[in-house]
Amino acid sequence: MKGIIAGIALGSVVVSTLLAEQHNVSDVKELRQEVDELKGMISELQRQQESTVYTEDSDTDIFIESKIRSELESNAKSGFLLTGYASFDWVDKQGEDNEFSGVKFAPIFHYQYGNLFQFEGELEFKATEDGEVETELEYAAGTLFLNDYMGIQMGKFLSPLGQYVQNVHPAWINKLPSNPIGFGHDGAAPTSNVGIALRGGLPKVIDIRSNYVMFVSNAPTFGIADDGDVVIDASGKTTSSDVSKTFGGRFAINPVPGMEIGASAAIGEVAEEITVGADTSNIVRDYEVYGFDVMYNVNGFDFKGELIQQDIGENSASTLEGGKWRAWYTQVSYQFSSFKVEPVLRYSDYHNPEKERNQWALGLNYLFANNVIAKLAYEYNTDENDDASNANDNRVLAQFAFGF
Amino acid sequence: MKNLLKCKMLSLLFIMGLSTLTMADEIKADSVNGAQVWSDTCMRCHNLREPADLSKRAWKYSMQHMRVRAGLTGKETQDVLAFILKSKTKEDSQ
Repeated sequence: MKGIIAGIALGSVVVSTLLAEQHNVSDVKELRQEVDELKGMISELQRQQESTVYTEDSDTDIFIESKIRSELESNAKSGFLLTGYASFDWVDKQGEDNEFSGVKFAPIFHYQYGNLFQFEGELEFKATEDGEVETELEYAAGTLFLNDYMGIQMGKFLSPLGQYVQNVHPAWINKLPSNPIGFGHDGAAPTSNVGIALRGGLPKVIDIRSNYVMFVSNAPTFGIADDGDVVIDASGKTTSSDVSKTFGGRFAINPVPGMEIGASAAIGEVAEEITVGADTSNIVRDYEVYGFDVMYNVNGFDFKGELIQQDIGENSASTLEGGKWRAWYTQVSYQFSSFKVEPVLRYSDYHNPEKERNQWALGLNYLFANNVIAKLAYEYNTDENDDASNANDNRVLAQFAFGF
Repeated sequence: MKNLLKCKMLSLLFIMGLSTLTMADEIKADSVNGAQVWSDTCMRCHNLREPADLSKRAWKYSMQHMRVRAGLTGKETQDVLAFILKSKTKEDSQ
């Protein structure tokens, strides 16, 4: 019996040992599997960590590189910038259907080399009634700064005579949707010159700042335009038409903060093209320009005023009369500090040997931002000669303009 | 003797010319004066552009443009630029 019990016990031990061994073997296998899995996970984590470290390094490199690049760019002497302005117009003219009357885009390219040289050029693109695009080089001039008070400007530049043409005409600056009469193309105010100018600011004298421009440029031309009007074409040309060049300038002072008073003058000759039979020649007339302008901005009020006059001498060889092309305007506007609305009132007057016109314009602007403006205006036009043209027609104008 | 005098005069003019060219790059900006010029000058023609309106880079070019248009001296231009860049906050410091 004892033997049987001992045998069973021994058998159980052997079996249990075998089972235990078998169990141990399976545990070890599982453990090995687990260890292998863990090793795999660790390797994966290591790989991930390594790649993470690499990415951080890469981000840091990119960050540092962009910062250095930014610093270098901001410290670079040479570079360029594209700015400009654009406008979209609507008009409702007395006796005519209203229409979307204008789309204008005027990009301005600036190039600069340190404080030594600057170039700027403005192209003007306009959509026309025929669906075409009218392109014009408004100006393209480089300025070499000779010292703190003088730069020499070369190329085509906006007329320095007066203020409106050179500083106020861009749509986002002009406080009304239209130009004062006589201050547009072929009016009384010269628009641009091709030549050389010396210009700059002067040192303060008795705490008064001042600035100047002196220029020599090709002469304007005189004659009959496509619409039949007798005009002085005082936009910059690359020929002087064998007549004397125009010599002129403007001097302005800033007697109190926010104010500028300027006086302009120019002298020279204009060329008038005469055609006799198959022969074309130029005849010469005397040419003079006078201008006076005032600007004053104080306590939200903005006052602007300007008078400009071009005188054309007589020449008996021509059937066209000379005379005075004179325009002036005065404008007041007010910007509220609490809300972004700006009322504007302007009176302008234009006289030449054939025309005598004046205009009242009342406008209201909404400033989405100081350079993003919606304008609405009413123009009351009077033609003193009442020459059956549509110059007497009043207009409602709207414009959306922005500078960038 | 006259030729020597001419040479001296020309040399003097040349040196003066060079010195004026150098002056253009050696202007130290004063942001306090810049603030004064900015408030006295800009709104005569157009609405004020806030420092945040343009990037630092754009302001550099715009101020050279205004130097020509507004008849500023080189120093006034640098002063206004210094004031504008100093007025830019961290949020608009690009």
